[in-house]
Amino acid sequence: MPGIEYLFAALTPLNIMLALGGVIAGTVIGSLPGLTATMAVAVLVPITFSMEPTSALIMMGAIYTGAIYGGAYAAILLNTPGTPSAIATTFDGFPMAKKGQGDLAITVACIASVTGGLVGATFLLLLAPPLAEIALAFGPVEYFWLAIFGLTLISALSEGNLLKGLIGACFGLLLACVGIAEISADVRFIFGSQVLLGGIETVTALIGLYCIPVLIDLVATPDRHLKVDHKPRGFRFLEALAISWKAKFSLLRSSVIGTLVGILPGAGGSIAGLVAYTEARRTSKNSQNFGKGEPEGVLATESANNATVGGGFIPTLVLGIPGTPPDAVILGALLIQGIRTGPSLFTEKASIVFTFIYGLYLATFLMLPVGLVIGRYAYQTIITVPKALLVPTVAFMTMIGTYAIRNSISDVIIMIVLGVIGWILNRFGFSPSPIVLGLILGRIAEQGFVQAWTIGAATGELWKMFFGRPISLAIIAFILLSLFYPVIRSRFGKRTGEVPHVE
Amino acid sequence: MSNNLQGSLQRDTSTIFMACLFIFVAVVFLWDTTHMLDSDSYVFPRAVAIAMIILSLTLIVWNLVKPRLAKGESLVEASTARRVALVAAMLVGCLAMPWLGFLIPGILTFFLLMFIAMYDQWTKKRKLLYPVIAGAIVLGFYTLFGNILQVPLPVGTLFE
Repeated sequence: MPGIEYLFAALTPLNIMLALGGVIAGTVIGSLPGLTATMAVAVLVPITFSMEPTSALIMMGAIYTGAIYGGAYAAILLNTPGTPSAIATTFDGFPMAKKGQGDLAITVACIASVTGGLVGATFLLLLAPPLAEIALAFGPVEYFWLAIFGLTLISALSEGNLLKGLIGACFGLLLACVGIAEISADVRFIFGSQVLLGGIETVTALIGLYCIPVLIDLVATPDRHLKVDHKPRGFRFLEALAISWKAKFSLLRSSVIGTLVGILPGAGGSIAGLVAYTEARRTSKNSQNFGKGEPEGVLATESANNATVGGGFIPTLVLGIPGTPPDAVILGALLIQGIRTGPSLFTEKASIVFTFIYGLYLATFLMLPVGLVIGRYAYQTIITVPKALLVPTVAFMTMIGTYAIRNSISDVIIMIVLGVIGWILNRFGFSPSPIVLGLILGRIAEQGFVQAWTIGAATGELWKMFFGRPISLAIIAFILLSLFYPVIRSRFGKRTGEVPHVE
Repeated sequence: MSNNLQGSLQRDTSTIFMACLFIFVAVVFLWDTTHMLDSDSYVFPRAVAIAMIILSLTLIVWNLVKPRLAKGESLVEASTARRVALVAAMLVGCLAMPWLGFLIPGILTFFLLMFIAMYDQWTKKRKLLYPVIAGAIVLGFYTLFGNILQVPLPVGTLFE
């Protein structure tokens, strides 16, 4: 194992304390709707300036790891992704909580996050330099096709109505265009309103579309928020472990997907979670239960989003290109510490890099007890708090959390209005997930498309630009496979006598 | 039987209405692109808006050709007034923030939402306990965001 001699350097009492503190702080901040992993790292990074570089890196890695996992709590218990990485966790996490399995969902999410984190850290330890090349191989056109591939996931998210899902995605793509254009900096689609000038922030839309409809329905009836089983059931760790073992291949595949997506700068945990969820649903024997409270769905998304932590560090450390937004903050902190990232970092500053990677393992292991205890407390709080206190607390959290994203009251207004729109659309069978997917992928797709178009037009090889590059062709093949998979599966099923599940 | 048929026809009409609304939204976006001079600004949204119109038209045709009962839960037993009050309270609260700062509208909104979401009796214990808890939660979050996380929460023009 490379750099094994630095393992003990990572295991000093100080580093263990810092990792523990980082995981706790990250988990708590990540669990609050509106406070993302990027914000968790950004607000706590000044604490690390006076530390030794290795200790500082270990603490930042621990905060990041904890924050990504913390996002699962709000996703499972409130149907609100605490961080964008936890979008897909809502699909099965919240239905599980509604059925009285919220405690199990949290434990499953914790085991999955630990597994994903370990796989991501292992890739970072063993394969960082060769894998970093992937980040460089992706140009604008590849990002465009990746975004289109992401949009094909709509078929998995549209809950039985593909047309409505596609319309919702188009609506999300148009919402992504509101504000200042990515390339030309033109002011678009604000219709004379100052509120829309800053555009629609993804996290704002997430909170509005997922959380406000829950509040609107919660306040309308005297029913309890979640079904409660009064028998004490503990952490349900063995039960969750058995579920994880049964879906071990899906867990590993999702972790690898998360690592690979994490390597791509700008893609992030939300896309990793969505891709892993779709793949898990496509290949699972229980695919018909996905979206209705299937633990395998929670396993897939939570392992993938935590794997992006290790994956994202690969281009950050090897190339100096941040793989995910929190990596950009950590990169800045590294520069303040006087550490220059690059291919030579693994040889010239081996002690720092390898101590940090082992520190990441340490933080991931610590996430298991920390996550289980905090998760249990969060679950107990949500099920015991009376509705008259739960509704205003969650509403207040959404308001202050949304405000904190860009210090803007406009964002809070947009969040509430989008929430009402989301609630109305939901009643007519338009799920919020395709809208959010369109909103996230819209910017990536437009930027990639316009840049590729400009380069192609300038070189006179427009078609070659879009259809002549090997990685683009591979992604196009995946797009076609994703689109026609239901047909292929249906044919295959007929031949083998299976009863296919095609929506 | 006739009730079922009426229900299904009504549902299809609502889906068709929503599809028309999406077409209207797409047309508004398309119209806005006509003011743009740089092709980088309008190529992508124009393509998406056209796709949305085509998909919405397909949804309309699909519903006319193959009508079926759409999913939707009944609103009869739920309180629409409380729903509207929740959204109104949140909107009024955040619209007041530029003038009154974050704390006062925050506390008022919290109290208002507490009354809206209250289905149990206001016992003496609750009357005493809930306002204290509400104040502690609002002040706790205010301190966390304003002082610990250093988020510049609005002070309010009336107090500047």
